[in-house]
Amino acid sequence: MLKNYFQTAWRNIIKHKATSFINIFGLSVGMTAAVLIFLWAQNERNFDSQPDQKQIYRLTTRVPSIGWVWESTPLLLAEAIRTELPDVQKTARLNTNNLPVVSLKGNLFYGKDYAYVDDDWFSMFNYRFIAGSTTAFNANPFSIILTKSEARRFFADANPVGQSLHIDSVDYQVRGIVPDASPNSSFQYKAFLPISALLTNPKIRANDENWDNANYITFVKLAPGVNMERATRKINDVIKLKGKASDNVPVSMISLSDMHFETEIQNSVFNHGNKNTVLIISLIGGLLLLIACINYVNLSTAKAGLRAKEVSIRKITGASRSDLFTQFIGESFLTSLVAAVITLILVRFFLPLFNELTGKDFDFRYSLPILLQVSGVTLISSFILNSIYPALLLSSFSPINVFRGVTILKVKDNTFRKGLVIIQFIVSVILIAATLVIYKQMQFIQQKDLGYSKSQVVSFALPFTINRDRKNALLKTMKQELLAQSAVQSVTTSNQPLVNMGSACSGCADWAGRDTSLRPTIAQLSVDEDFQKTMDLKMQSGRWFNRNTSDKHNVVLNETALKTLSIREPAIGQQFVFKGDTGQIIGIAKDFTFKSMHDKIGPLVIFNNADWRSYFAVRISGNHTREALAAVETVWKKNLPEVPLEYSFLDEQFSELYTEDTRTSHLTLIFACIAIVISSLGVFSLVAFEVEHRTKEIGIRKILGAPIKGIVSMLSADFVKLVFISILVASPIAWWVMNKWIQNFVYRIPINWWMFAIAGVIAMLITLITISFQAIKAAMANPVKSLRTE
Amino acid sequence: MIALKNIFKWYNVGGNRNFILKDINLDIQQGEFISIMGPSGSGKSTLLNIIGMLDEASEGTYIFQDQEVFRLKEKQRSQLYKDYIGFVFQAYHLIDELTVYENIETPLIYKDMKSSERKAIVADILDRFGIVGKKDLFPNQLSGGQQQLVGIARALASKPKLILADEPTGNLNSKQGEEIMELFKQLNKEDGITIIQVTHSEKNAAYGSRIINLLDGRIDTNTTL
Ligand SMILES: Nc1ncnc2c1ncn2[C@@H]1O[C@H](COP(=O)(O)OP(=O)(O)O)[C@@H](O)[C@H]1O
Ligand SMILES: [Mg+2]
Repeated sequence: MLKNYFQTAWRNIIKHKATSFINIFGLSVGMTAAVLIFLWAQNERNFDSQPDQKQIYRLTTRVPSIGWVWESTPLLLAEAIRTELPDVQKTARLNTNNLPVVSLKGNLFYGKDYAYVDDDWFSMFNYRFIAGSTTAFNANPFSIILTKSEARRFFADANPVGQSLHIDSVDYQVRGIVPDASPNSSFQYKAFLPISALLTNPKIRANDENWDNANYITFVKLAPGVNMERATRKINDVIKLKGKASDNVPVSMISLSDMHFETEIQNSVFNHGNKNTVLIISLIGGLLLLIACINYVNLSTAKAGLRAKEVSIRKITGASRSDLFTQFIGESFLTSLVAAVITLILVRFFLPLFNELTGKDFDFRYSLPILLQVSGVTLISSFILNSIYPALLLSSFSPINVFRGVTILKVKDNTFRKGLVIIQFIVSVILIAATLVIYKQMQFIQQKDLGYSKSQVVSFALPFTINRDRKNALLKTMKQELLAQSAVQSVTTSNQPLVNMGSACSGCADWAGRDTSLRPTIAQLSVDEDFQKTMDLKMQSGRWFNRNTSDKHNVVLNETALKTLSIREPAIGQQFVFKGDTGQIIGIAKDFTFKSMHDKIGPLVIFNNADWRSYFAVRISGNHTREALAAVETVWKKNLPEVPLEYSFLDEQFSELYTEDTRTSHLTLIFACIAIVISSLGVFSLVAFEVEHRTKEIGIRKILGAPIKGIVSMLSADFVKLVFISILVASPIAWWVMNKWIQNFVYRIPINWWMFAIAGVIAMLITLITISFQAIKAAMANPVKSLRTE
Repeated sequence: MIALKNIFKWYNVGGNRNFILKDINLDIQQGEFISIMGPSGSGKSTLLNIIGMLDEASEGTYIFQDQEVFRLKEKQRSQLYKDYIGFVFQAYHLIDELTVYENIETPLIYKDMKSSERKAIVADILDRFGIVGKKDLFPNQLSGGQQQLVGIARALASKPKLILADEPTGNLNSKQGEEIMELFKQLNKEDGITIIQVTHSEKNAAYGSRIINLLDGRIDTNTTL
């Protein structure tokens, strides 16, 4: 029986090659999108999962008076609570603030994604050792444990355990190799060094052993069954007891299972996810799968007419309804299965691209079990969506009706199928509209006048480990040396790069006429006299700082500061006290965008104190980028041979502010393309079937003198109507969704009706092009021929 | 074997009853070979479909092998025709996607027969009809006469007691038609299979043992040859 079914199914696929291909291909594309999305979503929802995940917590420091929430805690806290509280089974600390400098074959570089950790880090988070163990790591401070790929980078294929690495001018022994971090881990580190190594630096040790400094992230593992709130109270008691001098900053705990979706931490070192994003993206995955399945359902019901004869014969030769139901269920399972196999191949092929898009690192082989699981679920849901309705419809034919020639067109459920097409186009139009809105906003960001010039500027920072005198000396000499280079147009120093300025101070300023209750948070920028020229800032009034020291205490404000601080007019010459330094307002700079456009530009004080500065910005003359970079390198090596140079371009820094948004824009574009491609594939084959059913009618109409145009519009009218309805339904939904999205930006475009109109026009055009392929072919066909085949 | 009593069949067309069959009374014995004749639209196919249980009468009683057909449940009824009845159509109605062999095999599949058993039966029939060489061809690779031969072979595969044939030679030339009629006669004589055929041709009708003439849904004449 199975063989018989299989053979009919297979021969049916072959007989309608084009539509079968479209059917299976569309389904595979939809399934691929869904599988990748679900893989990602599953990964997000299972972050940091391990068997005892529920027992592990991270401590959070809260400073309620100023609203600070940190994920770091004092160094000594972990040890104190472990010894004082029997409820705490284990603690593990993490420090990623200090970047070790690694030297490899004479090259210096920062060990990015290197972490300083405790002995118990590896047992807390169940690391599996490929080679070596923690024993020697714990016993010797100058030890390092590498991930597999980092080990390969240093030692190629040689056995790394026992070898040494030159880090911060000390030799560190490699003690073990662990696998690379899995994509669902918050701890995406490449190497681990003991905290005890960090503490061999007496300055760091003295600083960190102070209970007022919170530089370590502390994880605790509670004994099974211990209540989290009680443990929190006890930990706070310990803090009160130990941190005598401190203000008793309270801590709270967050479960490891909740950490990934944590939202309240300021400047987290971990990559956090967003529950809403996961939800929305999963929803889109489901919708893409749905529209792919709709194609299958629509095509099989459209094909029903062609299959009616077979169904009837089977019935008459003795097939029961359940036999036929099984047959068609089996057929859709076969199709879904073939699609699932193709999906796995497509997933394998597109995984690297997907990784690039999501910034994750899924490995096909490693993810295979999860992939199979996800594909299985996708297969089953598509199978269910695909099978029930067509199978019911097909098995319900009454054979005498078919043999009597009652046309199957009456049997086909037109409204149902039209409804499904509308759903497909609603999804497509929403995604196209979203793509357009996001694209417009991204374009707006790129084209907005920032108030400074971001191209051809390279910036780098002096290390914060050198002392103030040396730093101030370097600021001067390196600037001189750089200016001497012909590839360098100008050089300026500041306390931070201006693309994204985080430094701010509350209640640090005073001025004549200040409302005493007003303690505004003001962004602060320390610069030298060349900053305005180098960055191409515009002045609204007054002047910039002078080259001599006469402006040492004076400030320049931005326009927003002038407005929001209610400075008395005329502003220039007014007294202004900043951080206890009394001077004058010498100029008002036009507002420039010193933050991402998600945030509002607030008041800004620009001052002239050299002690603050450690950032260089070098404007390159003309297009001598290569020469300028070489010059920067030479100057750096000459002055700071022991430190690696890290530079970046201002426009790169600018783009980085919008990494997430760029990702959203790419993903939406891809989703929109998939949706519209699958939907038009569906329309393509529906029209093909329509033409097949109506060959005779078309032939007769032509003989009666209908023009080609008339026949094409007759075939298109229905679909055009459907797409039009979809646009009407989709537009308000898209408007609502995109309105929500664009609220994320303070500086944004207005959402206009024409964006939805364009989305509609795009969907309509694609549909029309799709239809006309078939329709024109049918309309041009020789009517005599088509009538003869009837 | 078959007893039809006061069979009426009508369709409601715009509130009016449109009678297709009017008061049909008919007894058919096992082993008969009956030809139904009559002008187009006189209700021949409808009558045949009712006998074949593909259609239901609007009124009346139908007894098949001592069972009252219209009282049976859908399942029992399809079991009944699965076991006893084979159909042959004017348009052959073979499954285009299956080969000759597979077409003949299909009814056996729905009888839940073992594969080895099926093989034996199909091989036997192919042999008997002399179409062994065509077993792997698809219907559209055969001539009309050959297709109808396969159609009959398929009807015979499930070893029916009754064969219902609606204009089996309608699409064939006279030579092919003659061959089919000879085959029917042989099946009727040698295997004792009851045959009811609808035909327009006097010559073909004469192969049977009785001719029933329908006119406007009534039995006009009922002649035993
Ligand atoms: N489903 C139906 N609804 C209405 N009238 C029908 C239906 N099926 C058949 N008829 C009518 O019944 C009459 C008899 O049909 P049929 O039995 O096929 O005639 P025959 O086979 O003798 O040519 C015809 O007039 C036909 O139009
Ligand atoms: Mg007829």
